Amino acid sequence: MKKSLSPVRRSLLKSGLKLGGLVGASAVAARGVHAATPAGPDPLITEIQDWNRYMGDGVDANPYGKPSEFEADVVRRDVSWLTADAKSSVNFTPLHALDGIITPNGLCFERHHGGVARIDPADHRLMINGLVDTPLVFTMADLARFPRENHTYFLECAANSGMEWRGAQLNGCQFTHGMVHNVMYTGVPLKHILAEAGVRASGKWLLPEGADPAHMTRSIPMAKAMDDCLVAFRMNGEALRPEQGYPLRLVVPGWEGNMWVKWLRRIEIGDLPWHQREETSKYTDLLADGRARRFTWEMDVKSVITNPSPQAPIMHGRGRTVVTGLAWSGFGTVKRVDVSIDGGRNWTTARLDGPSFSKSVHRFYHDFDWDGRELFLQSRAIDERGNVQPTKDALRARRGENSIYHNNGIQTWQVRADGAVENVEIS
Amino acid sequence: MSGRVRLPGWWPSSHSVQGGTGVTGLRTARGRTLFRWQASGLIGVLSAVAGPLLADVAAGKAVFAQCAGCHAVGAGAAHRLGPQLNGVLVRGAGTIEGYDFSKAFVDKVEAGLDWDEVTLDAYLQAPMITIPGTKMAYPGLKAADERANVIAYLASIDPDGSSVAVVAIAPAASPADTEQTSASDEPRPLAKDVPVPDHGVLHLGRPALEEEVAAWDIDVRPDGTGLPSGSGSVVTGGELYDAQCASCHGVFGEGEGRWPMLAGGFDTLTDDRPEKTIGSYWPYLSTVYDYVRRAMPFGNSRSLSDDDVYALTAYLLYMNDLADEEFTLTAENFAGIEMPNVASFIADTRSEEAWFESVDEPCMRDCAEGDATVAMRARVLDVTPDAESDQGGSEGLD
Repeated sequence: MKKSLSPVRRSLLKSGLKLGGLVGASAVAARGVHAATPAGPDPLITEIQDWNRYMGDGVDANPYGKPSEFEADVVRRDVSWLTADAKSSVNFTPLHALDGIITPNGLCFERHHGGVARIDPADHRLMINGLVDTPLVFTMADLARFPRENHTYFLECAANSGMEWRGAQLNGCQFTHGMVHNVMYTGVPLKHILAEAGVRASGKWLLPEGADPAHMTRSIPMAKAMDDCLVAFRMNGEALRPEQGYPLRLVVPGWEGNMWVKWLRRIEIGDLPWHQREETSKYTDLLADGRARRFTWEMDVKSVITNPSPQAPIMHGRGRTVVTGLAWSGFGTVKRVDVSIDGGRNWTTARLDGPSFSKSVHRFYHDFDWDGRELFLQSRAIDERGNVQPTKDALRARRGENSIYHNNGIQTWQVRADGAVENVEIS
Repeated sequence: MSGRVRLPGWWPSSHSVQGGTGVTGLRTARGRTLFRWQASGLIGVLSAVAGPLLADVAAGKAVFAQCAGCHAVGAGAAHRLGPQLNGVLVRGAGTIEGYDFSKAFVDKVEAGLDWDEVTLDAYLQAPMITIPGTKMAYPGLKAADERANVIAYLASIDPDGSSVAVVAIAPAASPADTEQTSASDEPRPLAKDVPVPDHGVLHLGRPALEEEVAAWDIDVRPDGTGLPSGSGSVVTGGELYDAQCASCHGVFGEGEGRWPMLAGGFDTLTDDRPEKTIGSYWPYLSTVYDYVRRAMPFGNSRSLSDDDVYALTAYLLYMNDLADEEFTLTAENFAGIEMPNVASFIADTRSEEAWFESVDEPCMRDCAEGDATVAMRARVLDVTPDAESDQGGSEGLD
């Protein structure tokens, strides 16, 4: 945001308008929190504002457009204590500040294991080798000649909400649930590319590999590759962002984000899985008895209320209130979302709005009149297979607290009488 | 099909290079002058114009890759395991704020140590000998030219992190440049003359050469498939480990800070805080070989020889009490080694859980008795970013 006073701020100061002491707080607060009857006419209406008179930028001030300066708080954020180094780390999508189902490209959370590889697409190659008739090399130009498809899918890190296994820890759905994004991909069905090389009958597994210094690898069963995997080069219409694998990434719908190999440079075909680091040491789910589940690929049915939430408190007092959130499932579409305002004692089915795509996030709304009393907000998603989002206590009773991955438990936000919101666990 | 490939019009074009203007001299600590490009300078252009002087900086940047796991440089560089190094030759030794230097180092500074090309050269040659007790667990850069180059690189970085060598972003080509490039290209072949390969359904791509597959296909499976020929001993692995791994993973594999712990942790998997190490958790030794070979050391991937990786894998077995110090790991004895925790891994059993494909409608009314009460608050831990506290939470990721 600009250091100089914005026109809005200037007008506010000039007119001496005070919004309940909120002037000078965040940009959100300064934008006028409710339309209570003022003592006198609103100078924002009765006085001519700078933006009414003086012209702003002409075309091309930003050849690649950016969000308004008043949206400067809507950014990815990290949790620095989580990891040893930013080159192998994660940041989080600001879910609390977004609506609809599409995540803007610049806000899609990042997870790298060896920094963001910087690759000129002219220098990029995709190799198919292993149990195939003809090992092949493709350039980006070759891939652009395959039949393309467009699909909207969520990508969720298996460790999303992983910090909450032992209890409420982070205040904000950006941090508790922000390792998810939802994007329309343009790419080539992987089965078409495999057909060029000719997969042999003994080929049952694939090993995609990245070109970054981590050379990320995961074992994927052939049935998934032939079902719905894409080799994608665009997201939301434009080229992949560098931090999302430019120029090429694998899309593995509904499955752990770690498998969506970025900077994809090679896919090997084999008869057995490889048991790579990211499917043995990591991305295996340790249970209370010391055993560990492996190859837990699908992301379970899950939902979270994104607003209100700790970073987005209720500023307007009692009365009409919009509760909204996201729901998704790696098993298909979300069939229903229920919302509770009393900590799960009673539930109301929320209104799903916008497109309902398989393995894509769904937007839900619950509009109600808040009486101003303390609330315990929860959401519970049910997918087309009948999978029901469990409580965190049910997950812990079944799995213990050391799984790290696949925490899809129901989130509770406490809304206090002053509208402040906190991440809590309830009994 | 080798060489540069012309991309279709809808694909973002590759960058064309545009040189900048405004060269000024920069005196380094070695008394040499490096060229500094103020505007839109580029390494590629600089190398061509300025020759060997700047090649030192570029070569130094390459050497610095092995330092970058612990030391950051550039705009916004933060301290890691070691301090950030912006302007290290001019800012005054030990003066940077926010880094907890070793007592040994602070003592040296108080005794008059400052960094210049002579003192830094001596230190980098053998840090732990030059300053016994230093936190820098690094054996040293033995090649004098590599030390000179990395010092030249560090000298090129200002205290604010700006540098000729780290600014490598090409400015967008102007339309005029693009037209010029197109005009000078060879005439394009006629579409009807372009050969179409025989393979596949759509006849796209080209056959991969054996050398190409060999260069990239380095994965190893538990049954030993993919292992290269070679061998390495625990003793050799120990030397490599101390030089290239200990600074992050700890001398005993205990892990510094949030870096992964590699050794020990046996019988902790049912504890409140399990220690998931190679010895206590990893099911297969092949994963160690594969991962070290493809991704380690952090910041310098693919720099180890096949024998180096055998030696390090042997040493990691030794650190976990799974081999004695006389042991040598080879392609032949590799697949016979069973890891202690292999039997603890099970298939995905989530489908057995009650909420999976539930046939019962979930409760909608009066689902629990009494009002909800708070059992735990995030605020108590106070680990959310932007909060005052800088302490870490209970779970880490790596």
